[in-house]
Amino acid sequence: MNDKQQMQAALGTQDEHVLQMSDISKTYGVNRALDEVSFDLRPGEVHVLFGENGAGKSTLIKVLTGNVRPDAGTLTINGQSCGFLTLRGAKAAGISAVFQEFQLAPSLSVVDNLFLGREKTRRGILARAEMQDQARQVLAELGFAIDLEATVGTLTRAQRQMVEICKALLLHASILILDEPTASLNDHEADALLDVVRKLRHRGVGIIYVSHRMREIHEIADRVTVLRSGRYIGTLPRAGLQEAKLVEMMTGRPIAALYPEIRQDPRAMRIRISNLSTVNGAVKDASLTLRAGEIVGIAGLMGSGKSEIGQALFGLLPIRSGQIEMDGTLIKPRNPSAMLARHLCYFPPDRNVGGLAVSRPVLENGSMTGLSLNMFSRFGFLRRRNERSEVMKAMKAVRLRPLDLTLPVGSLSGGNMQKVLLARGLVRNTEVFVFDEPTVGIDVGAKAEIYDLLKSLVEKGAAVLMISSDLQEVLRLSNRVYVVTEGRTVAELCGDQKTEDNVLKGFFGHAPKIRKEGVA
Amino acid sequence: MTTMQMTRSFFLNSAVVGLVMIALLLAGFSAASPQMLTKGNIYNILVQSSYLMIFASAQSMVLLTRGYDLSLGNTVSLVSVITAMVLVSPWGQAAGAPILLAALCGLGAAVLIGGLNGTLVAATGLNPFIVTLGTMYIVQALGSTVSGGFPVSGVPAQFMALSRLDVLGVPVQIWTLGLATLALHMLLKWSVYGRSLYLVGANPTAATTAGVKTRMVTAMAYVCCSAFAGLGAILLTARTGSGEPTLGANLTLEAIAAAVVGGISTQGGRGGAVAPLIGAVLITLLSNGMDLVQIDGYVQQICLGMIILIALTLDRFRR
Ligand SMILES: Nc1ncnc2c1ncn2[C@@H]1O[C@H](COP(=O)(O)OP(=O)(O)OP(=O)(O)O)[C@@H](O)[C@H]1O
Ligand SMILES: [Mg+2]
Repeated sequence: MNDKQQMQAALGTQDEHVLQMSDISKTYGVNRALDEVSFDLRPGEVHVLFGENGAGKSTLIKVLTGNVRPDAGTLTINGQSCGFLTLRGAKAAGISAVFQEFQLAPSLSVVDNLFLGREKTRRGILARAEMQDQARQVLAELGFAIDLEATVGTLTRAQRQMVEICKALLLHASILILDEPTASLNDHEADALLDVVRKLRHRGVGIIYVSHRMREIHEIADRVTVLRSGRYIGTLPRAGLQEAKLVEMMTGRPIAALYPEIRQDPRAMRIRISNLSTVNGAVKDASLTLRAGEIVGIAGLMGSGKSEIGQALFGLLPIRSGQIEMDGTLIKPRNPSAMLARHLCYFPPDRNVGGLAVSRPVLENGSMTGLSLNMFSRFGFLRRRNERSEVMKAMKAVRLRPLDLTLPVGSLSGGNMQKVLLARGLVRNTEVFVFDEPTVGIDVGAKAEIYDLLKSLVEKGAAVLMISSDLQEVLRLSNRVYVVTEGRTVAELCGDQKTEDNVLKGFFGHAPKIRKEGVA
Repeated sequence: MTTMQMTRSFFLNSAVVGLVMIALLLAGFSAASPQMLTKGNIYNILVQSSYLMIFASAQSMVLLTRGYDLSLGNTVSLVSVITAMVLVSPWGQAAGAPILLAALCGLGAAVLIGGLNGTLVAATGLNPFIVTLGTMYIVQALGSTVSGGFPVSGVPAQFMALSRLDVLGVPVQIWTLGLATLALHMLLKWSVYGRSLYLVGANPTAATTAGVKTRMVTAMAYVCCSAFAGLGAILLTARTGSGEPTLGANLTLEAIAAAVVGGISTQGGRGGAVAPLIGAVLITLLSNGMDLVQIDGYVQQICLGMIILIALTLDRFRR
């Protein structure tokens, strides 16, 4: 391939690279995750890795951090050939990473996680104040508000993402790796991170950045390297960045529109929530309606309570007051199985925590919501042939790759795990879908397919409630959008009112109280 | 897959590890003692491991949900005492079907204990270790009180004959061994309940969100565990011929050990129905062989302890 030769010619001058990876290969079973991939990084540049779900981006990164041992290839850091790295070796070489699937200890506090394994001590005693100061400094630089003493297990996915970023920045690395760091952040929060990335680039840090978001790639990429099915496809300089070109390199074919034209046809009222508040105080006064045949979006900043509305509706959060009507009758969502029986399915935002049993195979995760249905069991015994064929159908619909029902979900790429999560609402007759961050970590091509899937669901009469921090997604797909701030639905936008401006006004119209950080 | 990965996953496969260990022990002991490989001794090992296997299966169900049942051994003792007492009591004889009545009473007690464990663990979210430690003492005290601390002897001969049945020339215990493994396999691989056990063990939050009744599944695991243990206790009582208030003294740990050695993960949601079988045979073989070559009882305990530690270490690496 032409690009490849050019690329290799450009590698001539070795000394200006902080990092050079050549012909790296890694095979899992019959699956070639990496096939002679080369990659390099200069100091003070942001090198974006781009590619479909399962292209091998995370695997390449894990080779660099010592988490994965490649089968072949060479690795040079700061001009020194260093064989392959161990976890410790990578740290010593100044490599620090934010992984796609978080690596936090849920029972420990935020500070404890930030300094886990490299606690600061003074004469053998933990220097807590010093650690807190440092952490606070980094958080302030990032503009993130997180209570340093909060237990990580109680944080939302977005907040945990922030902790991960903060942890990586505290290391003052010379090579910083960010694997989909903004997947569950909204644009506003992502911008704060991008500012920090620019600062670090200015200081000469080499940054590898993985993202499926075009907006970010346009903002900060100095170069973009595209992988497809574990192979190196090519590298584009900043000047040559065109979205269409990138997507074509990524998928091997041009992609039509990302957001389909959805025929919204609101019919019978399915859900009416009035003045809802939850016992934990996250939702204070939420009211909304959802009809069959429409997508209703919920937009809100992190911690606004938008997620908790969905959880309360599904019986996962105790309700303090307010009413929920389904098809005109008052209901009390007691637990998920009761709501599933009412044909309402909720898709949690965090695939690792509330979503998937990662040590179990795709098959079992796919049929999880439908075990009690006649389709899947009779007299308490599984109908395994039906199970296999139904789950296979659902996994084909979301384009799972590799399409192998026996693999443990934990061995799939991040985006493919997300697809398994989405597929499990398809194995039963679901009429009301409640999605919370449905496309976290899904590549552009697969996103278009999932949006098409949503389109066909809605046009067949399903009601879809979409809670998302991806503002474009909410605005382009929804018939109506609710804006949630501090646990209240402060605005309902329809038709021409559905603009980014109006949503942002909703966010900040009621000046949000900044939560106190680091109360010691 | 590279050869290294293949070797690695092959050796981390619990069934393989168990079978290899069994083969090594057999080879070693048969070299040291000519009695090892006689038909009588092999039968003996299988018969003995059939009991342990039942208890290991019981424990496995709870282990799959990331729990333990520390009260298992004392439940076995209590069931043994109750069964024997009903058998020898005058109204046991008068009822016409004393064995059935006694077995039902014993099982009933076991189910009650399991229900208590299950309710406490599932409803309160308390640590299973603590909960079953508590019930362990209660059950122990009950057993000693009911029996007065002495064995209950004089059970009818028909009852004792249960343990000496031969079906088609094969001892009843070996049938039990096969049937129990088959039943556990059906439960774990083919039933909705078995599937739920794995899902709850692998990720309880995800299971709940997907509509699995996590608390019910967890509570039922303790009930099944106790019921299985009760069944084993009745069979064991038939073999010893009396109700023994200390019958289960070592069984709790041996059952956990057998399950884990066979490949049930202590992290929940992993391991299959052959695990208790392989684990039980392995442990029984070890003590049988050490008896044959006359190794001291304390040294035997050291070896058992080491086997458990090796199993736990492998369990870590498998993740
Ligand atoms: N531990 C593992 N065992 C088996 N296969 C694996 C394992 N880790 C990754 N793979 C496979 O390697 C391939 C590359 O995965 P990788 O996670 O690198 O993709 P990715 O480019 O990061 O995708 P995404 O955008 O979805 O995060 C996938 O096909 C995946 O299924
Ligand atoms: Mg990835």
